[in-house]
Amino acid sequence: MKLDIIRQRSFWWLISSLVILAGLIGMIISWQQFSAPLRPGLDFVGGTRIQVTRDCSAANCDAPIDLATVRSLLADEDLETAVIQVTGDEGQSLSIRTRNLDVDEESTLRASLESEIGPLDNRSIQIDSVGPLIGQQLFASGLLALIVAFAGIVIYLSVRFQLDYALLAIVALLHDVVVTLGLFAWLGLLLEVEVNSLFIVALLTIVGFSVNDTVVIYDRIRENIKLHPERHINDLVDDGVNQTLTRSINTTLTTVLPLVAIVLFGGETLKFFALALIAGFIAGAYSSIFIASTLLAWWRVKSGKAVAGLTEVPQPAEELP
Amino acid sequence: MGKQRLLLALILGLAIGAIVIISTIPTRLGLDLRGGTQLTLQVETTDKIPTITDQDLEAVQRVISDRVNELGVSETSVQQLGQNQLLVQLPGVSNPEQAQRVLGETAQLEFRAQSPGTEQQFQIENQILQQHQLELLALQQQADVDSQTLLESATNSDDATDSDAELEQQIQSVQSAIQESNRAIRDLFADADLTGQALTDAYAQPRQSGNLWEVAIAFDSSGAGKFAELSRNIAGTGRSLGIFLDNRLISAPTVDVQYAETGITGGRATISGSFDADSASDLAIQLRGGALPLPVAVVETRTVGPTLGQDSIRRSLYAAIVGLILVLIFMAVYYRLPGVLADVALVVYALLTLAAFNVFGVTLTLPGIAGFILSIGMAVDANVLIFERTREELRSGKTLYRSVESGFYRAFSSILDSNVTTLIACAALFWFGAGLVKGFALTLAIGVVISLFTAVTCSRTLLLVSLGLPQFRKPALFCPGLSPAPAKP
Repeated sequence: MKLDIIRQRSFWWLISSLVILAGLIGMIISWQQFSAPLRPGLDFVGGTRIQVTRDCSAANCDAPIDLATVRSLLADEDLETAVIQVTGDEGQSLSIRTRNLDVDEESTLRASLESEIGPLDNRSIQIDSVGPLIGQQLFASGLLALIVAFAGIVIYLSVRFQLDYALLAIVALLHDVVVTLGLFAWLGLLLEVEVNSLFIVALLTIVGFSVNDTVVIYDRIRENIKLHPERHINDLVDDGVNQTLTRSINTTLTTVLPLVAIVLFGGETLKFFALALIAGFIAGAYSSIFIASTLLAWWRVKSGKAVAGLTEVPQPAEELP
Repeated sequence: MGKQRLLLALILGLAIGAIVIISTIPTRLGLDLRGGTQLTLQVETTDKIPTITDQDLEAVQRVISDRVNELGVSETSVQQLGQNQLLVQLPGVSNPEQAQRVLGETAQLEFRAQSPGTEQQFQIENQILQQHQLELLALQQQADVDSQTLLESATNSDDATDSDAELEQQIQSVQSAIQESNRAIRDLFADADLTGQALTDAYAQPRQSGNLWEVAIAFDSSGAGKFAELSRNIAGTGRSLGIFLDNRLISAPTVDVQYAETGITGGRATISGSFDADSASDLAIQLRGGALPLPVAVVETRTVGPTLGQDSIRRSLYAAIVGLILVLIFMAVYYRLPGVLADVALVVYALLTLAAFNVFGVTLTLPGIAGFILSIGMAVDANVLIFERTREELRSGKTLYRSVESGFYRAFSSILDSNVTTLIACAALFWFGAGLVKGFALTLAIGVVISLFTAVTCSRTLLLVSLGLPQFRKPALFCPGLSPAPAKP
């Protein structure tokens, strides 16, 4: 198999543009609904979420937990706006999300839950109470980390490669981040998937891996340019991508395999984390093969450096092989 | 070849060392895996104190640590978080109500005068308190031992439940006995209307003679008068001046008879005793913390029940093992002999990484496990790069030995550049990221560094050693479907 990526590049660029466009539309719709590009979870908007399971050794678990009972109980506590879900196989678990409760409100709520639906299993309880400012801090620190990481990567790649490689690697990386964001915008709209702090971790990981992928291909292109400074950049890029193609596919496969295992067998919390990574890594492999490489060739041609041997060494005397 | 043998021995030694470390030093599990409550406290500014300095935060941290210790939970931790936040971890606590109430209060420091005729009772109460504290320590150590076996018992969790609950009850009762003692001691001292608000400074300083230390304290003008009166009342009587932080006695100095006339005037005093540098500065920090009228708010509480945590461990472990096995199978099937050797290197990698977590005291959380699983993928990537390169060289007609050597040599710059960029990203995440992000960046970075060693040095050594054996010296074991054998190995 040999890919003729330079000739087909408008096609690859079109695919990416369409995917990104779809994602952006998703984000705009989300913005109208939640005032945020993605459906924000508890970590970002603040509030309290209580997840409890009825203790079936002490309680009567013949029927699932009655939603109406819980709803009226919450109404008594002035928490009509709470989002209530009955979960678990037998409907014995309950998830309640409310505004941020203080200690007294929370313990009252727990007590009245115990008295209305029966004893709760203390060992499988989960309570998250997040102040409204925590999310902003998280977002700010994540963004700062991201910007510093970008700067570090650009500097390193400019030193090891050249500035244009570094900047185009960042373009490819933004591509992957935006594709993942777009996917989760739609997941939020269609399946009510919320993003939490783990999602930020996922985005940051995608950044690291996406650069990794791109660097390997750029490394090969750089090597080809060194070996054949007289050849046109388009051919060298085509060769480089094809030489590393098996590696790109195999690496993506071996990285995605454990992630698929997490999606299938991992705990609830890690599922969407792993899904975000899978999306980001596949987008990363795609952008490294089809976007980063073609952009480099396009840029070199446009800036008149299509043949390295003619521009990089101005003195003809030193140009002789 | 001698060098390869040596390296092989080194790798073997490291792997055995890793197994020993993994089996002796327990892995530290985060609260999301073992169950417990994590609270984020925010120290808020007031009109009087518009900015919070590092010293302020340290002092509040000390006060909070004392309160956390009072809760009677073992293996707690209180860490500074950024400029004005504290992170409190309470393993095993699934009802954080008491903690939330106790921790979210402003510190209260009081100076009180011991009432006449209570000398003997003071001694007795002190002994009772010490007795209780020793009991508590013993119980907590027992609880620690129990919780260390948590990982092993994750698969049959119900057995431990009963003795756990019993232990918890014992701790609770000793806890309330200690509070009772503290209250009894406080009742022996009379209110002197002098609180931490009047205290302007407290610091440790070396004494003029000898190598002992003392704690100097300073009061504002209103406090100076009250302190003079308080000290005059008890000077030379043998009764103590009780300093209470959050109703708990932290120091009970006596006042020398020479101050019986005027009291200690001028608003300055030193507390001397058998302090060394550490204990003196500890008391000074406690005093400063008590003097700060900084309100503390609980801004985040996360509670995970113990069964829920065990469930996540189990599931994530399964996922990790299944993922790893799939990767191992893929490598062996696709890359043949080198793939199998890379698998061996990968197992060594997993052992070394887990051992490194234990040695560096990395707390393993859910994102941390994800980082680890992910770094397995990275470790494989280096080998994929090398073997693809080796195949290319074989196809271009080089000998087997040369192909392997140049496969490693040529792939190295790719491996280095890609790993360094990942490390740069990890460093940024570690320095600027919040808790979850930090743990993830750390495990990933450790993984990347170790994978540089195992994927390059380890698999290279294994390959070169196998090439020394004639039965392995067949190009078909490296690159199936290679058109007519290009050269003799």
